[in-house]
Amino acid sequence: MEGRQTTTPKKESCDQQAKCLKRIQSILDGGATDEEKQYFKDHIEVCQPCIDMYHLEKCIKEALQGKVEKKCCPEKIAAAIQAEITK
Amino acid sequence: MTTMPEIMSDTQLQGYTDEQKYQVFNKEFMPHIDSMYNFAFRLTMDEDDANDLVQDTYLKAFRFISSFEQGTNAKAWLFRILKNSFINDYRKKSKEPAKVDYQDVETTYNSDEAAETEHTTDLRFETVQDMIGDEVASALNSLPVDFRTVIILCDIEGFTYEEMAKILDIPIGTVRSRLHRARNLLKDKLKEYAASMGYNKNDE
Repeated sequence: MEGRQTTTPKKESCDQQAKCLKRIQSILDGGATDEEKQYFKDHIEVCQPCIDMYHLEKCIKEALQGKVEKKCCPEKIAAAIQAEITK
Repeated sequence: MTTMPEIMSDTQLQGYTDEQKYQVFNKEFMPHIDSMYNFAFRLTMDEDDANDLVQDTYLKAFRFISSFEQGTNAKAWLFRILKNSFINDYRKKSKEPAKVDYQDVETTYNSDEAAETEHTTDLRFETVQDMIGDEVASALNSLPVDFRTVIILCDIEGFTYEEMAKILDIPIGTVRSRLHRARNLLKDKLKEYAASMGYNKNDE
Protein backbone atom coordinates (compact mmCIF):
# COMPACT_ATOMS: atom_id res chain seq x y z
CA MET A 1 0.00 0.00 0.00
CA GLU A 2 2.69 2.45 0.97
CA GLY A 3 4.88 1.52 -1.98
CA ARG A 4 2.66 2.94 -4.69
CA GLN A 5 4.67 4.94 -7.18
CA THR A 6 1.96 5.63 -9.76
CA THR A 7 1.46 9.26 -10.65
CA THR A 8 -1.69 10.52 -9.03
CA PRO A 9 -3.91 12.71 -11.19
CA LYS A 10 -3.58 16.36 -10.29
CA LYS A 11 -6.48 18.43 -9.04
CA GLU A 12 -7.96 20.57 -11.79
CA SER A 13 -9.32 23.19 -9.42
CA CYS A 14 -8.08 24.63 -6.14
CA ASP A 15 -10.54 25.58 -3.44
CA GLN A 16 -8.00 27.82 -1.70
CA GLN A 17 -6.62 29.63 -4.69
CA ALA A 18 -6.40 33.11 -3.15
CA LYS A 19 -4.63 31.77 -0.05
CA CYS A 20 -2.35 29.60 -2.13
CA LEU A 21 -1.42 32.57 -4.29
CA LYS A 22 -0.37 34.52 -1.19
CA ARG A 23 1.72 31.55 -0.04
CA ILE A 24 3.36 31.22 -3.45
CA GLN A 25 4.26 34.90 -3.44
CA SER A 26 5.75 34.66 0.06
CA ILE A 27 7.86 31.71 -1.04
CA LEU A 28 9.14 33.45 -4.16
CA ASP A 29 9.86 36.59 -2.11
CA GLY A 30 11.83 34.58 0.44
CA GLY A 31 9.43 35.61 3.19
CA ALA A 32 7.52 32.36 3.79
CA THR A 33 7.26 30.68 7.18
CA ASP A 34 8.34 27.02 7.56
CA GLU A 35 4.68 26.08 7.77
CA GLU A 36 3.92 27.84 4.48
CA LYS A 37 6.89 26.15 2.82
CA GLN A 38 5.78 22.71 3.98
CA TYR A 39 2.19 23.27 2.88
CA PHE A 40 3.38 24.44 -0.50
CA LYS A 41 5.69 21.46 -0.94
CA ASP A 42 2.88 18.99 -0.25
CA HIS A 43 0.24 20.88 -2.18
CA ILE A 44 2.09 21.83 -5.36
CA GLU A 45 2.58 18.20 -6.33
CA VAL A 46 -1.12 17.55 -6.54
CA CYS A 47 -2.72 20.82 -7.62
CA GLN A 48 -2.48 21.89 -11.26
CA PRO A 49 -3.86 25.45 -10.77
CA CYS A 50 -1.20 26.07 -8.09
CA ILE A 51 1.56 24.77 -10.37
CA ASP A 52 0.35 27.20 -13.04
CA MET A 53 0.16 30.08 -10.56
CA TYR A 54 3.65 29.32 -9.32
CA HIS A 55 5.09 29.46 -12.84
CA LEU A 56 3.25 32.68 -13.66
CA GLU A 57 4.29 34.45 -10.45
CA LYS A 58 7.89 33.33 -10.89
CA CYS A 59 7.92 34.44 -14.49
CA ILE A 60 6.52 37.91 -13.67
CA LYS A 61 9.04 38.37 -10.87
CA GLU A 62 11.88 37.36 -13.16
CA ALA A 63 10.63 39.71 -15.89
CA LEU A 64 10.56 42.61 -13.41
CA GLN A 65 14.04 41.77 -12.16
CA GLY A 66 15.66 40.99 -15.46
CA LYS A 67 13.81 42.73 -18.27
CA VAL A 68 12.75 46.12 -16.94
CA GLU A 69 15.43 48.70 -17.64
CA LYS A 70 17.28 49.95 -14.57
CA LYS A 71 17.88 53.66 -14.95
CA CYS A 72 21.30 54.89 -13.89
CA CYS A 73 21.90 58.17 -12.12
CA PRO A 74 23.43 60.80 -14.43
CA GLU A 75 27.06 61.58 -13.55
CA LYS A 76 26.24 65.28 -13.16
CA ILE A 77 23.85 64.54 -10.30
CA ALA A 78 26.45 62.57 -8.36
CA ALA A 79 28.94 65.38 -9.00
CA ALA A 80 26.45 68.04 -7.89
CA ILE A 81 25.81 66.16 -4.65
CA GLN A 82 29.53 65.89 -3.93
CA ALA A 83 30.01 69.59 -4.66
CA GLU A 84 27.15 70.52 -2.37
CA ILE A 85 28.28 68.52 0.65
CA THR A 86 31.89 69.69 0.44
CA LYS A 87 30.92 73.37 0.23
CA MET B 1 13.64 73.72 8.04
CA THR B 2 13.12 70.08 7.22
CA THR B 3 12.58 67.88 10.21
CA MET B 4 13.01 64.15 10.07
CA PRO B 5 11.86 62.84 13.43
CA GLU B 6 11.12 59.44 11.95
CA ILE B 7 14.78 59.00 11.21
CA MET B 8 16.16 60.66 14.31
CA SER B 9 14.06 58.56 16.65
CA ASP B 10 15.24 55.24 15.28
CA THR B 11 18.86 55.27 16.22
CA GLN B 12 21.21 56.80 18.70
CA LEU B 13 23.04 59.82 17.35
CA GLN B 14 26.51 59.06 16.07
CA GLY B 15 29.29 61.48 16.91
CA TYR B 16 31.06 61.54 13.57
CA THR B 17 33.91 63.94 12.86
CA ASP B 18 33.65 65.86 9.57
CA GLU B 19 36.09 63.48 7.97
CA GLN B 20 34.12 60.47 9.15
CA LYS B 21 30.94 62.01 7.76
CA TYR B 22 32.44 62.16 4.27
CA GLN B 23 33.81 58.66 4.65
CA VAL B 24 30.46 57.20 5.68
CA PHE B 25 28.70 59.16 2.96
CA ASN B 26 31.00 57.95 0.20
CA LYS B 27 31.38 54.40 1.42
CA GLU B 28 27.85 53.63 2.59
CA PHE B 29 25.56 55.99 0.67
CA MET B 30 27.03 56.72 -2.74
CA PRO B 31 27.18 53.08 -3.93
CA HIS B 32 23.36 53.05 -3.90
CA ILE B 33 22.92 56.08 -6.12
CA ASP B 34 21.83 54.13 -9.22
CA SER B 35 19.22 52.15 -7.29
CA MET B 36 18.04 55.39 -5.70
CA TYR B 37 17.76 57.06 -9.08
CA ASN B 38 15.89 54.13 -10.55
CA PHE B 39 13.45 54.22 -7.62
CA ALA B 40 13.04 58.00 -7.98
CA PHE B 41 12.43 57.70 -11.70
CA ARG B 42 9.86 54.93 -11.29
CA LEU B 43 8.05 57.00 -8.65
CA THR B 44 8.04 60.34 -10.45
CA MET B 45 8.13 59.04 -14.05
CA ASP B 46 10.14 62.10 -14.96
CA GLU B 47 13.89 62.48 -15.35
CA ASP B 48 14.10 66.03 -14.00
CA ASP B 49 12.00 65.19 -10.98
CA ALA B 50 14.07 62.06 -10.39
CA ASN B 51 17.28 64.15 -10.54
CA ASP B 52 15.90 66.61 -7.99
CA LEU B 53 14.53 63.90 -5.75
CA VAL B 54 17.82 62.00 -5.63
CA GLN B 55 19.77 65.16 -4.99
CA ASP B 56 17.42 66.29 -2.21
CA THR B 57 17.51 62.85 -0.64
CA TYR B 58 21.30 62.67 -0.58
CA LEU B 59 21.61 66.14 0.86
CA LYS B 60 19.10 65.26 3.58
CA ALA B 61 21.01 62.05 4.24
CA PHE B 62 24.19 64.06 4.71
CA ARG B 63 22.48 66.57 6.96
CA PHE B 64 21.06 63.80 9.15
CA ILE B 65 24.06 61.49 8.91
CA SER B 66 24.50 61.50 12.69
CA SER B 67 21.33 59.42 12.95
CA PHE B 68 22.76 56.74 10.68
CA GLU B 69 24.56 53.93 12.44
CA GLN B 70 27.42 52.40 10.44
CA GLY B 71 26.96 48.75 9.61
CA THR B 72 23.16 49.04 9.54
CA ASN B 73 21.22 48.89 6.30
CA ALA B 74 22.20 52.09 4.47
CA LYS B 75 20.19 51.27 1.37
CA ALA B 76 16.94 50.83 3.30
CA TRP B 77 17.69 54.00 5.29
CA LEU B 78 18.20 56.00 2.09
CA PHE B 79 15.14 54.53 0.40
CA ARG B 80 13.08 55.55 3.40
CA ILE B 81 14.25 59.15 3.15
CA LEU B 82 13.59 59.16 -0.59
CA LYS B 83 10.11 57.75 -0.14
CA ASN B 84 9.29 60.38 2.51
CA SER B 85 10.67 63.19 0.35
CA PHE B 86 8.58 61.96 -2.54
CA ILE B 87 5.41 61.93 -0.48
CA ASN B 88 6.07 65.29 1.16
CA ASP B 89 7.56 67.29 -1.69
CA TYR B 90 6.93 65.66 -5.04
CA ARG B 91 3.70 63.78 -5.00
CA LYS B 92 1.64 66.93 -5.20
CA LYS B 93 3.35 68.12 -8.34
CA SER B 94 3.87 64.68 -9.85
CA LYS B 95 2.99 64.49 -13.52
CA GLU B 96 1.12 61.26 -13.01
CA PRO B 97 -2.18 61.44 -14.89
CA ALA B 98 -5.55 60.98 -13.17
CA LYS B 99 -4.41 59.58 -9.87
CA VAL B 100 -6.40 56.60 -8.69
CA ASP B 101 -7.25 56.77 -5.04
CA TYR B 102 -5.37 53.96 -3.34
CA GLN B 103 -8.13 53.31 -0.84
CA ASP B 104 -10.65 52.85 -3.64
CA VAL B 105 -8.50 50.30 -5.36
CA GLU B 106 -7.77 48.51 -2.12
CA THR B 107 -11.45 48.34 -1.24
CA THR B 108 -12.37 47.02 -4.65
CA TYR B 109 -9.82 44.26 -4.45
CA ASN B 110 -10.74 43.42 -0.86
CA SER B 111 -14.40 43.13 -1.59
CA ASP B 112 -14.10 40.79 -4.49
CA GLU B 113 -12.13 37.71 -3.57
CA ALA B 114 -13.63 35.80 -6.49
CA ALA B 115 -12.19 38.21 -8.99
CA GLU B 116 -8.77 37.77 -7.38
CA THR B 117 -8.82 34.06 -7.97
CA GLU B 118 -10.38 34.20 -11.37
CA HIS B 119 -7.98 36.52 -13.11
CA THR B 120 -4.89 34.77 -11.82
CA THR B 121 -5.37 31.81 -14.10
CA ASP B 122 -6.03 33.35 -17.47
CA LEU B 123 -2.70 35.04 -17.98
CA ARG B 124 -0.24 32.44 -19.18
CA PHE B 125 3.38 32.48 -18.10
CA GLU B 126 4.46 31.91 -21.70
CA THR B 127 2.76 35.20 -22.58
CA VAL B 128 4.83 37.04 -19.99
CA GLN B 129 7.97 35.27 -21.15
CA ASP B 130 7.34 36.60 -24.66
CA MET B 131 7.05 40.21 -23.51
CA ILE B 132 9.93 42.64 -23.75
CA GLY B 133 11.10 44.84 -20.89
CA ASP B 134 9.35 47.98 -22.13
CA GLU B 135 6.02 46.20 -22.18
CA VAL B 136 6.45 44.96 -18.62
CA ALA B 137 7.63 48.45 -17.58
CA SER B 138 4.53 50.04 -19.16
CA ALA B 139 2.28 47.74 -17.16
CA LEU B 140 4.20 48.56 -13.99
CA ASN B 141 4.12 52.30 -14.69
CA SER B 142 0.37 52.23 -15.15
CA LEU B 143 -0.23 51.10 -11.54
CA PRO B 144 -1.16 53.62 -8.84
CA VAL B 145 2.00 54.78 -7.12
CA ASP B 146 1.48 52.90 -3.82
CA PHE B 147 1.16 49.61 -5.65
CA ARG B 148 4.01 50.42 -7.98
CA THR B 149 6.19 51.20 -4.99
CA VAL B 150 5.85 47.80 -3.31
CA ILE B 151 6.59 45.98 -6.53
CA ILE B 152 9.69 48.08 -7.17
CA LEU B 153 10.96 47.55 -3.64
CA CYS B 154 10.30 43.82 -3.60
CA ASP B 155 10.82 42.58 -7.13
CA ILE B 156 13.26 45.08 -8.59
CA GLU B 157 15.29 46.04 -5.52
CA GLY B 158 14.96 42.77 -3.63
CA PHE B 159 14.11 44.21 -0.21
CA THR B 160 12.70 41.79 2.37
CA TYR B 161 9.21 42.26 3.81
CA GLU B 162 10.80 43.50 7.01
CA GLU B 163 12.89 46.12 5.22
CA MET B 164 9.89 47.21 3.18
CA ALA B 165 7.85 47.62 6.36
CA LYS B 166 10.52 49.98 7.69
CA ILE B 167 10.90 51.92 4.46
CA LEU B 168 7.15 52.40 4.10
CA ASP B 169 6.28 52.72 7.81
CA ILE B 170 3.60 50.05 7.59
CA PRO B 171 3.21 46.65 9.30
CA ILE B 172 4.56 43.52 7.57
CA GLY B 173 1.02 42.19 7.14
CA THR B 174 0.14 45.31 5.17
CA VAL B 175 3.26 44.90 3.04
CA ARG B 176 2.16 41.38 2.12
CA SER B 177 -1.42 42.29 1.34
CA ARG B 178 -0.45 45.41 -0.61
CA LEU B 179 2.00 43.36 -2.66
CA HIS B 180 -0.65 40.75 -3.31
CA ARG B 181 -3.09 43.37 -4.60
CA ALA B 182 -0.38 45.16 -6.55
CA ARG B 183 0.48 41.93 -8.33
CA ASN B 184 -3.13 41.19 -9.14
CA LEU B 185 -3.43 44.64 -10.67
CA LEU B 186 -0.19 44.13 -12.56
CA LYS B 187 -1.45 40.84 -13.97
CA ASP B 188 -4.62 42.61 -15.14
CA LYS B 189 -2.48 45.21 -16.88
CA LEU B 190 -0.20 42.60 -18.43
CA LYS B 191 -3.21 40.70 -19.65
CA GLU B 192 -4.81 43.81 -21.15
CA TYR B 193 -1.54 44.63 -22.79
CA ALA B 194 -1.05 41.12 -24.12
CA ALA B 195 -4.57 41.12 -25.55
CA SER B 196 -4.02 44.47 -27.25
CA MET B 197 -0.79 43.22 -28.79
CA GLY B 198 -2.34 39.98 -29.96
CA TYR B 199 -0.19 37.80 -27.70
CA ASN B 200 -3.18 35.67 -26.71
CA LYS B 201 -4.55 34.92 -30.12
CA ASN B 202 -3.98 31.17 -29.74
CA ASP B 203 -5.60 30.98 -26.32
CA GLU B 204 -9.21 30.65 -27.43
